Parts: sequence; structure tokens; C-alpha cells
Amino acid sequence: MERMSWLSKLTPRAGGQRAPRSASLQPPVTADPETCLMVFKNHWAQVLRILERRGSKPAPDDLSAVRNNTYQMLNLLAEDRPRGDGDRSQEDGDMACGPILEFVAAENLLERLLCWHLQGDFTEERKVEQLKLYEMLISQARQPLLRHKPVLTPLLRLLSVCAEPASAPLENSLVLLLNQLCVSVAREPAILELFFHSHTDQGPANLIIFSLLIPFIHHEGTRGQQARDALLLIMAMSASNRAVAQSITDNSYFCPVLATGLSALYSSLPRKIEVRGDDWHFLRREDWIGVSSLVLFMNSLEFCNAVIQVAHPLVQKQLVDYVHNGFLVPVMGPALHKTSVEEMIASTAYLDLFLRSVSETALLKTFLRFVLLHRHDNATILDTLVGRINSNSRLCMVSLSLFRTLLSLNCEDVMLQLVLRYLLPCSHVMLSQKRAVRDLDIYGKTAAKFLSLIPRCCRPESPPPPPERDEEPPARARAHGSPSADPLPAPKPSTPSRLSFFMRQASTAPPEAAAPRSPGPPAGSPPWPGPRDEVAELDRNYLEYLRDARRSIDRCAWACRVWSAPYDGEDPRAPGPPPDPDSPPERPLGPPTPRTKKRGLPEEGAREVPGGPLGGDEPGVGGSGPDPRDGGTLVNGAHAAAEPGRPEGDVVVKKVRRSTQGEGEGSGGAPNGAPQAQPPGWEPLPSVDSLLEELLARAPAEPPGSGVSIEAFTEELREIEAEMRNGGVGGSPAAPPEPPDPPLSREEEEAFASFATLSEGDAGTGRALPRPPDPLAQVVASPPRAVGPPPSQPFTGPFVSVLFGKLENMPHNSLYVNFLLTGLVAQLACYPQPLLRSFLLNTNMVFQPSVKSLLQVLGSVKNKIESFAASQEDFPALLFKAKKYLIARGRLDWAEGPGATPALRRPDTLARSRKPSLGELLLRHANSPTRARHAAQLALQGLRDGGLHPLPPLAHPARHGEALRVRNAVYCAVIFSEFLKELAAIAQAHAVTSPFLME
Amino acid sequence: MNTLWSMSTGSVRKRPDAEEKTLSGELRTSPLRASTKKQLPSIPKNAVPVTKPASPATSSQSTNGTHASYGPFYLEYSLLAEFTLVVKQKLPGVYVQPSYRSALMWFGVIFIRHGLYQDGVFKFTVYIPDNYPDGDCPRLVFDLPVFHPLVDPLSGELDVKRAFAKWRRNHNHIWQVLMYARRVFYKIDTASPLNPEAAVLYEKDIQLFKSKVVDSVKLCSSHLFDQPKIEDPYAIVFSPWNPAIHDEAREKMLTQKKKPEDQHCKSMHVSGLSWVKPGSVQPFSKEEKTMPT
Repeated sequence: MERMSWLSKLTPRAGGQRAPRSASLQPPVTADPETCLMVFKNHWAQVLRILERRGSKPAPDDLSAVRNNTYQMLNLLAEDRPRGDGDRSQEDGDMACGPILEFVAAENLLERLLCWHLQGDFTEERKVEQLKLYEMLISQARQPLLRHKPVLTPLLRLLSVCAEPASAPLENSLVLLLNQLCVSVAREPAILELFFHSHTDQGPANLIIFSLLIPFIHHEGTRGQQARDALLLIMAMSASNRAVAQSITDNSYFCPVLATGLSALYSSLPRKIEVRGDDWHFLRREDWIGVSSLVLFMNSLEFCNAVIQVAHPLVQKQLVDYVHNGFLVPVMGPALHKTSVEEMIASTAYLDLFLRSVSETALLKTFLRFVLLHRHDNATILDTLVGRINSNSRLCMVSLSLFRTLLSLNCEDVMLQLVLRYLLPCSHVMLSQKRAVRDLDIYGKTAAKFLSLIPRCCRPESPPPPPERDEEPPARARAHGSPSADPLPAPKPSTPSRLSFFMRQASTAPPEAAAPRSPGPPAGSPPWPGPRDEVAELDRNYLEYLRDARRSIDRCAWACRVWSAPYDGEDPRAPGPPPDPDSPPERPLGPPTPRTKKRGLPEEGAREVPGGPLGGDEPGVGGSGPDPRDGGTLVNGAHAAAEPGRPEGDVVVKKVRRSTQGEGEGSGGAPNGAPQAQPPGWEPLPSVDSLLEELLARAPAEPPGSGVSIEAFTEELREIEAEMRNGGVGGSPAAPPEPPDPPLSREEEEAFASFATLSEGDAGTGRALPRPPDPLAQVVASPPRAVGPPPSQPFTGPFVSVLFGKLENMPHNSLYVNFLLTGLVAQLACYPQPLLRSFLLNTNMVFQPSVKSLLQVLGSVKNKIESFAASQEDFPALLFKAKKYLIARGRLDWAEGPGATPALRRPDTLARSRKPSLGELLLRHANSPTRARHAAQLALQGLRDGGLHPLPPLAHPARHGEALRVRNAVYCAVIFSEFLKELAAIAQAHAVTSPFLME
Repeated sequence: MNTLWSMSTGSVRKRPDAEEKTLSGELRTSPLRASTKKQLPSIPKNAVPVTKPASPATSSQSTNGTHASYGPFYLEYSLLAEFTLVVKQKLPGVYVQPSYRSALMWFGVIFIRHGLYQDGVFKFTVYIPDNYPDGDCPRLVFDLPVFHPLVDPLSGELDVKRAFAKWRRNHNHIWQVLMYARRVFYKIDTASPLNPEAAVLYEKDIQLFKSKVVDSVKLCSSHLFDQPKIEDPYAIVFSPWNPAIHDEAREKMLTQKKKPEDQHCKSMHVSGLSWVKPGSVQPFSKEEKTMPT
């Protein structure tokens, strides 16, 4: 998990850092305080002599004399202990000062020293010196110093002198001192009050700490880190101190700089993600840790996250708003809408990474709000992203990954926008079926139905491949001289990320979830020993699927208990107007690829189902009304339109928003009316502007005019604020009444009456059957309120349409797309909400004619695979090899995988061999580890020899396309069968989800 | 009541024997549709999920439909689903536990808290037919024959059939049997009794009936700590209150009740997100603030 945890990193740094140094510098003065004071006075006398020599310029000798004496004095001051000493002195609030400190105060010694410095030529070098001295003093003092004005005032004055940008050494010392100050303040929050009341010529004292630190927020290296740590300490203090919080939000540029800094940093990210492997689909830590610009960005994002975690709600809210309006809307939005596919891929992958990395709810919320509600070019970001699933190429995979991330959040709002709101009106089901939404299939009929869709050619019973071709293990067979011009990159191991493909649910799920899915091909278990056993084993992994399904559903159900409603067809009610004002059906969802034209198949596939031994009664599919095969519309009402990749003519690549400049300023001035509340005498901090300029200087220029105007920006902000205010308080739904304990409640009586036939009467005559089997009777009986005017065309939403469309196309998708795709659908199927569950998994449900069911889609895939298999005479052999290959791949992963520390970069050779693992789970039940390893090595050997590819090598470049088609189809057959098992397992697991999880 | 029942915790649960049994392939469709559907061939006996190379005959059959080998999973899961439904019902004073050896056998106990049978603690066993859900209704047998018109005085079997003349899948569930079993102790029915003596006494001499019931309740209580009738790791065993063991357990149960959230949270770290105001279908409609992190 890449979740951010800043505080854990921070704590040790703040506390322990000083220790070694103070130990080494400890002067030999353990002498008695009186002696120390004498020595101190002595030094001061010498300094004073120089200080008082007015008029003439200080000689170099004077300088070094003052330097040496000051050094000694400050060391003594640091060692000075409060009178009375002892440990209890710490506890007294008002303990007496130590003698030296008293003397320092009386003489106003530090102030006079500083004045002397300021009079002369106060070079950078001397500034650094002073900063270091103070830093030493503060970090090592044995008594609280900052609470004493004679110490604090000169310190603040010194700081204000250092406000201008300067050389690196000065900045280093400055940040270190500021960091030290913040640590001290964190230890003794009372000092903060003093800061408020002491003014410098730069405004209130607390502001100067800020204004000095802020420019370093986005710096790299230790300097930036120290600055962020220091700021974070202040933020943490703001949590319990509203005044601090208010001064941060009202009087500092902290939030705008932090948020718009993200914009600037974003603009320097690579526009194109260089990847070598075709299977790459999301950014893992290993991928970005080497990209400095991305590291920089992630540091800042992480910092935002940390600030939100610790800061006062005021600060939190302001920062979150700025992130939305200063980063997401003006930068992320346009970035996601770039015209070049490469840039779309990059920005989608970035967004996915950000979503996976943010751990604070408030920040996540703002990201999600942006994705779900923000409109760019008249479409919500969400709709745009949904549409891209339909694209070919990597954009599809990256988008699927993003949705995997979104689904794994178990966020009601996301699910509402993606799917649920389309299902709420229940217009997708026949009226008579409305009540069946909540039905649970407890007899495994759905599972039986899914399993029955496993293509005939993939079942164990199907004839084994001709023996002579498989006498030799395919690995070796292939190893010999097959000039591999693989169009399918699978065996080419050099993806930069070494993704685990088959770990489809891995990325954001908790560790135990990260277990890869059960994999492995289904059937095809010929009764021979030897290498075949491994493949045969895939036939028996159903139990694993059941276990995984149980785990996933439990987790999902548990997570969803925070939702506002059960989504069971009754609660919540669908709103009056049709559900989808936002994305009208004509929204481009991408065309069906030409290959998906054959629409007739699905019905047949579905119809075949009744053959299942347990699928006896199915009012569902058989009677599902008119055949939707006419195919005018895409699946479930989505319509074909242009590829979302934008018209090709529009090739001008827009640069990343330059207007952050404008935003930076705009956001500084506009929102919340904050900076208007400047205290008198307070001036804009020049350093902030310079920071912005510096940051923006790195950003590529953007043509003027394309930026968001400040007006628009403030307008948007106002809208958001209004929206937030209008939220209204919602009472949580009342807890269900306790079950009655008294003997027999009325409900119980009624319930009993409904099922029991106490008299000899026919069972069928019971009144109030939960679900009268006769649809007609039910139409009559169903209460009128349920009969809303159904929208003209039931539409289950663009997300479902796109997924189903892509599913139908499975035989033509690449292996990787199919993994992600089936994983996503499986993820969706794990949601326990009856509306969604019944839509995907209740095979008895009768849908409106225009609504295609998952079962129909899968049926069509089944038919495609079967007809492909029929046309390919060596299909069984191909299938066998494909399985073997996938298993070997998984095995390699497994062999290195689970034990090894994942984040470490491995030696290249190993890294290379590491392939995503479909077979990972499979290995759990491989009979013997040694055997497994042996097989893995064999397969690996094959890979290295350049040969192990299960599918035929290409004789001819011209036949590339054909070979690719074959390959995709054969892999699809394997994945599809496994997918069906997975769905079947999920369907079964739903019936046994513990009610405790959902209460 | 000063007893606490505890279950021995068996080792890892094996697959129950039930899996080795098979489902009858005879399928019953819902009554109104039955006539229009063709009957499917039954799954061959002894089909198990693993290994056996299929004989030509079966393979030709099962290519038509589902893999026969998944059958046992359906049965097991159906029973598990039934059990889940029982849990959902929260029948007061009724506890059941599937046996270790077979998902088709459930151990249970009923605590009667009011009425004639007050203070009765009756252990029982539920036997589910192996062609469930297409067979007869489950049988419910009390460990000791309770004195009751509907309980067989010799075998202790409760007359379940009278309430479930015909067991209908989708309509009848095991929790209903349990509810019925509880109900008979509150609403006494004397029609066509299994124990005519009890029936007659109830009608004619309620006082004698009552005293016999009290005796019966006492008898059951006195045998409470007996070894379970059927030896099984998951059988329900009563033991005298032992503070060393039970105090802690009770404490745990009570505290668990207070904060079930925490208990679960430890095992599952995930929490979903929601900003939807209850009753609304608009995203982010909820008032700001207070999302659990």
C-alpha cells in the first residue's frame, strides 16, 4: 500500500535529531553557575568594547573577536540552567531564569549585538553565522528561551532580515533554524502566544515563520523536507488552536501556495510515460520513484495529505478547496482532456496514482468530487473516463486501472454516479420483477448458469489434443527455432513496472486482498500424467474462487455499511426525473468495434443455459422478451459514437496550463475573502510571489486566454461554497427495532402463517406469498407507486454499457485488457447492494427488452469462442499451450513473489523473468513446491531461449494480424472460463454473506 | 439461568461428508411453470468435484449443462445460506450449529422463557434430507422426548410435517422449522397428536398436563450436562458454570456487544466512503464534517 503516512516519518526526525550534536559540542563548563556568569560577563565586556567603538567601521579583527566571544557566550547561555535547577524546574511554569539569561535580558545583549551587525556590512556569510548561532542556542538551551523577549525579538529581527531569497547555504541555515523554532514551539505551545503578540516589520511574528518557510514547501532534498516538517508541526498545533488556524488561513499564503504548487509541479511531469511492456497499465511505486519530477510532485501531494491529516478544520477546508480550484480544475481537468493519446494515458495514470496515494478522507473527497461532478467541455470527468474504456490500446487499460481504484474505494458516491442511479428507478427490470431485486439465490442456480456458459471447447470433457503433438512438453517443443515475431508481447519480459497482471485486485486492496485472483485455465484436463497435471489442476480451483469471492464480498459488505442506504429497490427511492440528466445517452461512448457487429449470438448463448441440471426453472432468460439482436444500439442503451480520442484533425497539443500563475494570485486574493483581513502594516509577502514565479518558470508556456479567468474561478468557488452550505443535516436512518423477545410477536405470527400450512390444506394456497410466480398477477397487485413512468428507453448507464460492450468483444481484446476488464466486472459483482447484485447476478430477473444482461453478454462471448474454436482445427492444442503458458508465467511470479520484499529493485535478470501471474493462486495447490519450481524453471528456460510461446510462431509478417487474432481468442477462451468460475463463486458467496457485516 | 453452553472448538473443519453425497437431479420448478419445462437428466450418483475422468456417458451429458462436479458446492452453499438466513432471523432463544461431519445435520437448543414450558431448555437435532431442497421437510428431533402433544414420546421427534406438508424450495426455509419448533411451546396444538396422552390431558386436565410439563422440563434440565447424544466436535455441550472459563467469555460477549465496530475493524481495515445524505441520491449531498477516517 502506498498510502501516505507522514507523521510516522516525522516523529523521529523532530525529536532525536539534535542529540548527537549537543553531545559533541558540550563545553567543558560544568562549573558552577557563578563562575559561568563571570566568564560570560568577561566575554561580554570584550564584545562591548568593540560595540561601543562608534563611528569607525569595524576592523576585521573586531569581527572575529566578536564572533569568537559571541560563540563562547551563546554556548554559555545554552548551558545556563534556571535557578534552583533540578528536574522539577521543568514543571514550574514560571521558573526563574538562569543567571546568564537574566543578565542577557538585563543588558538586552542579543539585541545590541544584532544591531551592531546590522549597522555594518551584514553579508550573507555573517547572516549564516548568526542563523547558525541562534539555531545552536535554541536547540541546545537548557531552559526555555523563546518566551523571553530579549531573546525572541532579536531572533525575529534576524529572520526578517533573511527574508529575501538568497544563496543555498543561507537558505539551508534559515530552514534549519525555522525548523528548530517550530520544534520548540511544538514542545511549548504557549510560546505561540508570544509570537502573536510580537510584531516585526514583516507583520506578526508567527507570519514570518510561515512566510519564510512557505517558499520551501515544494523544494526537493533535505531543505524542502525540513521546511515541510516544520510547517507540519505548526499545522498540528493549529488543530487545537483556532487562532493559529485562522492566521494560517487568513494571513498566510500557505494553502494557496501548497495547492497551486501542485499545479506547477504537475506541469513538469512527463507528458508521455515511456514504457516498454505492453502490459503496463498503472504506476507503481517502482515506476515513479526514479522519476524526479514525479517524486517531487508526490512529496508535495503527500504533504498536502499530511497537513489535512493534522491541521485544524479551517485549514483543512481551505487547503482542500484550493486543491480543487487551484489544481484539479485548472490543471488536472485540461490535462485529462489532452488531445494526444499519450498524454491522456499519462494523465489518467497520474490521476490513478494520486487517488491511490491520498489517504485523508477530506482530500480524497475533493478528488472524487472533481472526478464525479466537475464538468470539462460539458462532460463530467467521470463520463470522459468511462468513455475511454472503449478505446483501444493502452488508454483502455489505464482507464480500467483507474476504475479499479475507484471501485476499490467502496464509495457510495462513486457507485451512485457510475451505476446505481441508473438502476434506482428499476426501469431496467420488468415491472413484475421489481420485488425480486432483493431475492437471494440460495440454491446456486446462478452459479450453475454461469458455469454452464463455459464454452464446450474449454471443458474438461472436450477431446484432448492429439497426443503426438503433445508428447513433448510444449515448452521445449516451442523452444526450438521458432523465430518469435510475437505480436503479443507477453513473453517479452521487459516492462518497466513488472506488473502483476493477474493480481487484478491488488493495488489498493488490503494485504489479504492482494492475493491474486484464482487463475488458471479451467478445463482441458486430459487424463494423462506429467505436465498435463498442472493444467488439469486448473479444473479444480473452484474452491479457491469461492474463498476469494467470500473474502471480497465480506470486505465490500463491511465497507459499505457506512453507506446511506441499502439500495435494495426501495431505499432510496428513485428521484422523480429520469436518472441521467448529466450524461444523456447520446454521449459518445465510443463505437462498437467493427467486430462486435454480430449481435445475434448472445441470445442463443443465453438460451442454451437451461440445459444445466440445476437450472430447471428459469423464467428469466428464456422469456426475456424480444430479441435485442437488432443491434441498432449498443449494449443497454448506449449509443455508438466517435472514439473518445477526439477528432484526429485537432492535433495541436495544448500545453499544460500556464495559467497557474493567474490562479495562484487569484486564489490568493479571492476565496473566502481571506487576505482582505490583513492586519494593518502587513504587506504582501514578496517571497510567495517569487516562489510562484520560480515554480511557474519551469512550467511550459501556454497560449494566453486558455487559462481559467479569475472571475470564472471565483464563481466556481462560490458555487461550491453554496453547495456545501446547502448540504443540510441528514439524520442517520433509525436503527432497526430490536427483535421482540416476548413469546410470539405479531410479526412472527404473520410470518409463520405465511409459510406454514397447519391445516392439511394445499401448500399453494398460502396467502401473501412473497413472490407470486405469475407475473401477470403481480402487475395487478403491485402498488401504484411503483409504477413510475418508465423513461422511454431503460438505460443502465454508460459505465455498464461500456463494460458490457468491451466484454462482448473479449475474443478480440488483448490478454491484458481482458484481465483488467474481467477483474473490474468481478469487482462490481462483489458489491452487496441488491440493485446491483440482482442486475449482474440474478439470472432469473426478467429485464426490459432493451436491457442486456450480463448473462446475455457472456452468452454471446461463449458463442464467439465456440465458433472460433470450431474454425480453428488445432484449437485444443492451442488452448492447452495457452494454459500452460499462463501457468508458467504465474509460477515465475510466485517463485519470486510472495516471500521477497516487493519494493526492492531486483537484479535485472530476475526482474525480467518476473511476469504477472495468472497462475499465482494456482500454485497454492500445486502438489509439490519442488515440482512447481522445476516446471517454472523449465518454462523460464523456454522464455530465455526465446521460444516459449504457446501459440504458433508467425511464418510471415503479413499474417501478423491473423496470428494476433488467434492469440487473443485463445487467451480469451482461457480467461473467459476462469471468469465464469469467478462469477459463479461470487454469486454463491453472496448468499452466505454474514448478516452481521451489513448491519 | 446459571449455565452457559459452550461448544467444543474442533480442529479445522473438513469438508463434510455431505459433499460426497449427491444432489438428486430431480428438479422442481415453481408450480406454475413446472409443466412447461422439460425435466433434466439427473446428475450421476457419486459425482464428486474432483479427479475421476468422466465416463463417456456422463461427459456427453454434462457438456449439455453444468459441470456435475460443482453440485456439492451448491448443496453446501445452499445449507450455508440457510444457516445465514437463520442468523438473520434472530429467533429469540433458539440456537443452532451445523455439525462438523455433515452440513445436513444441525445441533440446536431452545430456551423457553414464558408460558407452560417456561425455563425449558431443550436440545434437539435437525436432519436435513440429502436431496434438499427438493426433498421432504427437515426433521427435528429433541434429545429427550419433551412432554408435548406434537412430540413423539419415544423418539422425541417433533411433528414438523404438519406445518410443512410439502417442502417448497425458495418458499420454505430451515429457519421456519426452527420458528415452528419454538412456537409449539407457546401455542399448543392438540390436533392429530403424536403424543395422545399429552393431547388429552391438555384438553381434559390442564392441571395434570401442567405438572407433567414441569416434570418434563425438570428432566431435561437434569440431563443438561450430559454428553451430547451424537458425538461431534460441534455438538452443543452444556457444562456447569466455571468462573475460570465462563466469566471471561461472558465479559467478552458483553463488551463485544458494546463495540462491535472495533472488533470488526481490527480484522478488516477497510471502510467505505459515503457523502450521500440519507434519502438523497445525489453525490456529496451530505453535510460537511465527520467522516470516519
